[in-house]
Formats: sequence, C-alpha cells, structure tokens
Amino acid sequence: MVETLIFQGLIGLSLAMYIWLVAAGLTLVFGVLGVLNFAHGSLYMLGAYLTETCTALLGGNFWLGLLLATIIVAVLGVGLECFFFRPMYRLPLAYQLLMTFAFVLIFDDLVKMVWGPVYRVPPTPKGLEGSLSILGRAFPVYNVFIIGLGPLVALLLWLILEKTSWGKMIRASASSREMASAIGINIKMLFTTVFAFGAWLAALGGGLSIPIRAVSPGMGTFIIIEAFVVVVIGGLGSLKGAFIGAVLIGLLEAYGTLFLPVFEMFFIFFLMAVVLIVQPGGLFGTQVSHEEA
Amino acid sequence: MKRMNRRDFLKRSLGTLAGVALGTGLDLPEAFAQRRPVKQGPIKIGGQAILSGPLGGYGNFMKMGAQLAVEEINTKGGIAGSQTEIEFRDEELKPDVAVKNARYFVDNWGADFLIGCDASSVGLAVGQVMPELNKVLIITHAATEKINEDLVYKKGIKQVFRISVPVYQDGIAAAIIAKDFPVKRWAAISPDYEYGYTTWKMFRETLKKFRPDVEFIAEAWAKFGTVDFGPHIGAVMPKEPEGIFTTEWGGEAITLIKQAKLFGVFDKAKAWMNPMGAAMDVLEGLGAEYPLGLWISCRYWFLYPDTRENRAFVQRFQKRWNRYPHYVSETGYSAVYAIKTAVEKAGTLETSEVIKALEGLSLDTPAGKRVFRREDHQAIYEVPWGQTAEDKKYPFRILRPLKVIPANDYYRQPPFA
Repeated sequence: MVETLIFQGLIGLSLAMYIWLVAAGLTLVFGVLGVLNFAHGSLYMLGAYLTETCTALLGGNFWLGLLLATIIVAVLGVGLECFFFRPMYRLPLAYQLLMTFAFVLIFDDLVKMVWGPVYRVPPTPKGLEGSLSILGRAFPVYNVFIIGLGPLVALLLWLILEKTSWGKMIRASASSREMASAIGINIKMLFTTVFAFGAWLAALGGGLSIPIRAVSPGMGTFIIIEAFVVVVIGGLGSLKGAFIGAVLIGLLEAYGTLFLPVFEMFFIFFLMAVVLIVQPGGLFGTQVSHEEA
Repeated sequence: MKRMNRRDFLKRSLGTLAGVALGTGLDLPEAFAQRRPVKQGPIKIGGQAILSGPLGGYGNFMKMGAQLAVEEINTKGGIAGSQTEIEFRDEELKPDVAVKNARYFVDNWGADFLIGCDASSVGLAVGQVMPELNKVLIITHAATEKINEDLVYKKGIKQVFRISVPVYQDGIAAAIIAKDFPVKRWAAISPDYEYGYTTWKMFRETLKKFRPDVEFIAEAWAKFGTVDFGPHIGAVMPKEPEGIFTTEWGGEAITLIKQAKLFGVFDKAKAWMNPMGAAMDVLEGLGAEYPLGLWISCRYWFLYPDTRENRAFVQRFQKRWNRYPHYVSETGYSAVYAIKTAVEKAGTLETSEVIKALEGLSLDTPAGKRVFRREDHQAIYEVPWGQTAEDKKYPFRILRPLKVIPANDYYRQPPFA
C-alpha cells in the first residue's frame, strides 16, 4: 500500500508540474498587466503544434524545435499585446475577457486550417524515452524529467524577479502601476515584455507536453481551466501560490482517482471553494487591487 | 400511390430494361424516368456535429461523408429529381445548442431532413423535439441505447432513426469476444460520463453470463478532456488486472495508449479492449506507436466488408478528400443515401410516408447491408472486432484477424426489458 501511495504521489507531482508551467505565465501576466488571459491556453496549444513542426523542420532535434517554437510564440505575444491588449486596458474587464475568448476561437480554427483536424502524436525526445523501474513499477522517464524541470523553472522565475532589474520593475509595477511610471519605468515596454514572457511560458508548457500527450485542436481549453483553478487557489498574481496550488491540485487528482474514482473532481472544486471562503484572495494572494483606469 | 399512365409505365419499363442491360439497376439517371420532382426547389438536409474543440475532427469527417453523398446524388439527378442541399452546424456537444440548431434548420432554413448528432446527450435532446418539428432525423453517431429503446420504442417518437451501431457494439459484443480470453481479472479505465458507465455495465453483465469465473477488480473514471491518465493507470495497475477494458475515444484514446505504454501496462496485462480504438483518428494518430495484438473496434472500419461497393466507396472518398473514411464519414454518407432511398420509395416528402418507407428498409451501404428495425428504428448491421496488426500497405495498424459477431447475437431486442 505504501508503495502505491508513493507511486501515486509521483504521478501527482508530474501532473502538478505540467499545470504549473501553464499557471505560471497566466498568473504573472495577471499580476502585472491585470489581464485574465483566456487565450493563454491557445498559446499553450500553439507552442505544442509549433514545437512538433519546428522539431520536424530541424531534423528531429526536439530541444531546438522547442526553443524556436517558444520564441515564435513569444514574438506573437509581443504582437498581441501591442495591437490588441494595449487598447483594452482602459476598458472594463468584460471587454478583455471577450477579446481573449475571441482569440481562443480564432486560434482553434487557425490550427485546424494549418495542421488539419487530426490528432498528432509526436515522438519522445532522445534520451527520455521509455520508463524506469520505481518501486517495482514502470514510471515514464519523461515524467521524471518534468518533475525535475518544474522546480527549476520556479527557481529561474524567482531569480529573474528578485535579482534582475527587469524583475524589480515588474514587482514595482505590479504593486503600483502609477508609482512605477512616476519613477520613470517604461510601463508600455514592461507590459509588452511581460506578456511576451508569459506567452513564452505557455508555449514552453505546450511544447513540453507533446512527448506524452496527444496534440489536438482545442487542447488548450481543458488545460486553461485547470490552470485557472490553480491560480485562483494560489492567489491571483502570486507565482509562489501558483506553484503550491499546482502541487496541491496534482496530488489531489492523483489520490482522488486512487481512493474515490468517481469524485476526484469534487475535491478540487471543494478545495477551491474552501480557499475562497477562508481566504478570498487565494492562499498567497495579497488582496489584489488594480487601479483600473 | 400515384397512378401510372401508360407513358410513364413505358418509360419506367424502358428504364428498368436499360438498367438490366447495363447490369445494374442502381445509378440510373433519374431524368431517365422523368418523374415529377417531389419538391419545387432543392431538398434540404440539415446536419449537425461537433465541429470545434479537441473532438472537432469528428464533425469534419462526418461532413466529408455527407457532402460526398450529396455531390454524387446531385450529379446523378438528385433525390427523386430534386437537387439536394446540405448545411452543417456545430452542435458543440451541448444539448441546448443542438436543439436550437434543429429548430433553426426546420423553422428558418427549411430543412426537410436532419442528420448527425455526436454526443448521446445531444441525440436524446434533439430526438425529444422531433415530434414537434415533425421531420425525420437520422442519427449518425450518438450511441446511447436510450435513443432506440426509450425514445423510439417506449415513447413512440417515430421521427428518429439511427444508422450507426449503438453501445451494444461497445459493451455486449466486446464481452462476447472477451469470453474466449484466458483472462479472469478485468479492470476499466473509461470516460467519467454515461457512455463510460453504460458500456462497462453491459460488458460486465454479458461477460458474467458466459464466464461466471471472471472478476471485475478495479475501475478508474477519467473526466471528459483528460490529458493525463497517469492517476488512472496508477490506481488500476496495483490490483494486477489481466485485462483492461476502455471506451476512451478520440484524442483521449490516443493519450491513454501512449501513457499506458510508458507505465508498462502492456507488459503486465494480457488483454486490452477498446470498442472505439479502430476509429480512423485513433489509428492514424497513433500510427506505428499502436501496440500490436490489442482488441479494437468502431462503428465502421474502412476495410470491412471486403465488397466491391465498399472498396469503391473508399476509393471515391480518398479521391475527393485525400484521406481514408472515418466511421462517421461512412455513417454520414449512408444517412444521406438512406434519405434518398426512402424519399424515392415514398414518392413524397410527407414525414409519415418517409417514416413508413424507412421502417424495415434494407439498404446496401459501404458498411454492408443495413436494415432499419421497425420497432426501434435502429439500423442492424455488423461491424468487426479485430486485433491491431502491422501491414506494410498502411502507415497505421489494421485489424487482423477479424472477429465478426452476427448483429442479432448482440443487439438487444424489443421489448427491451
């Protein structure tokens, strides 16, 4: 039984790390720009498709393909922010939501037009294929890699936010947009770069998912819901919250499926409800107040 | 019935003679008989299917089949002399959206027939409003037994027909195949909605009848849209099942197989059954990654039956769309031909007459001979089960050997107790 518990815990952790990669960008963009980007899941999907295509174009090198794909999506993020999101900051939240939702539909159809309505199953990158034996049972090597990578990305984000001047600007403008702009931070530039970075993270999550999940149009829809739950539980705008929220949700899903197979979703939404009642801002949320113009 | 005058009689006789001379009574240009069209203007068919999201491929594939049928029919003179028009809307897998679509088609667009419905919930919801809309609906995918058993047979909604196999194929036929396996311990990893539960129940009940010695030791239910089956595999495998039954479909079937491989499931379990595993999207999606020797089926598989008619259909489909027909392509295609045959038999678009024409109708389709059972309007036809095998001619797995169970051995019969 103990073996089963530990094994299921590992499965939960790998699940958590996939969610974390998506939630990180979502919460970062919200924390700084105040935009709840539904289309974040679409960027995840584009990252997955482009990684597959770029990998094939680059002679099967998954890592180069992933790098190129995430850069393309980040550049797309720059375009999205400059031309579509920027005029929206002044408008009520509902307009932003509508627009990001429109992008969900547009990207879904675009993907269908370019790659067709079929499922694709890209190969696993070299060196990470197959499985290794843990507690006498097979566990995918790739999931071990993801369990290791998730905290590394978290560390990287922490270093960027705490130790770089760009990170300081991000934190300054997240706590007060007006003050930040008064002391000479170029808010426009900052918003664009943060959005692009968020898009890059989404694409990274998508690209890293393809060796183990089917690639399909609309694949971002399901992942974005989970990421939202995680971000709400962790506290909107809090990276630490998103990481811990992802681990909680991943473990809950894994153990829920083990013990109460029909009700595993119940726990997740129950947790969200409890968190929202006890701590409306989320586990690590400062009561987010954005001075909407 | 219309009375035939002598001239009509002559023309028809000539037509029949010519047909016989050509060696085929089918494919005869309608203009030959010069009947008065049953409708001024085109006959309109409103189709709906899932056209968006991860399962959007299903709608696209069905559309391809139905459209091919319409094009073929129109180049040969239409349905009973009338050109045919088809339009598709996205059902979004949502009953309320689908009912709205059905109303739009009938009330605003002027549809004479409705076809489609992917989700079971959609088929049930649209079926329930058919008496009010009073047009014939031919369901091409939604598989719940409640459509033929409850809606048509018990509630007497005569406007609803189904051309695709119901869940009997998924649950009952699967068990009849599985009874010969040297497997005693079964587990399920299946969708966390009615389709998953119903098929698992049918499988268990049927298998238990043949094999009192089997045990059903574990089940894991995956919510719609699951992208990671790790938790489900992790929950089921410690119980050491010898056989795994799953009704995951589309991208989820692919993801499940891919992850099951990595978790070593195929090294441990002796048998794997998936009634949706032979769907073209799953075969093509997995390609050579599909493990060999798994038992799979679907609702039409393009190499069965090995008849001239089926081969010709696959060829025409490939020529038109540059791909192999998915099962929903075939059911969409055959639904349109069922409409054509029924209208020409009835000689009118009057719903009650078309229903009469469809009841008991025997139809030669790519999937073989189909008969619409009178009592519940369910098309009876056979779809094979088979094991995944390699074939150099195809970049994906095929089914070999095939196992075909006579439809009457596994279709539930009215009165459904």
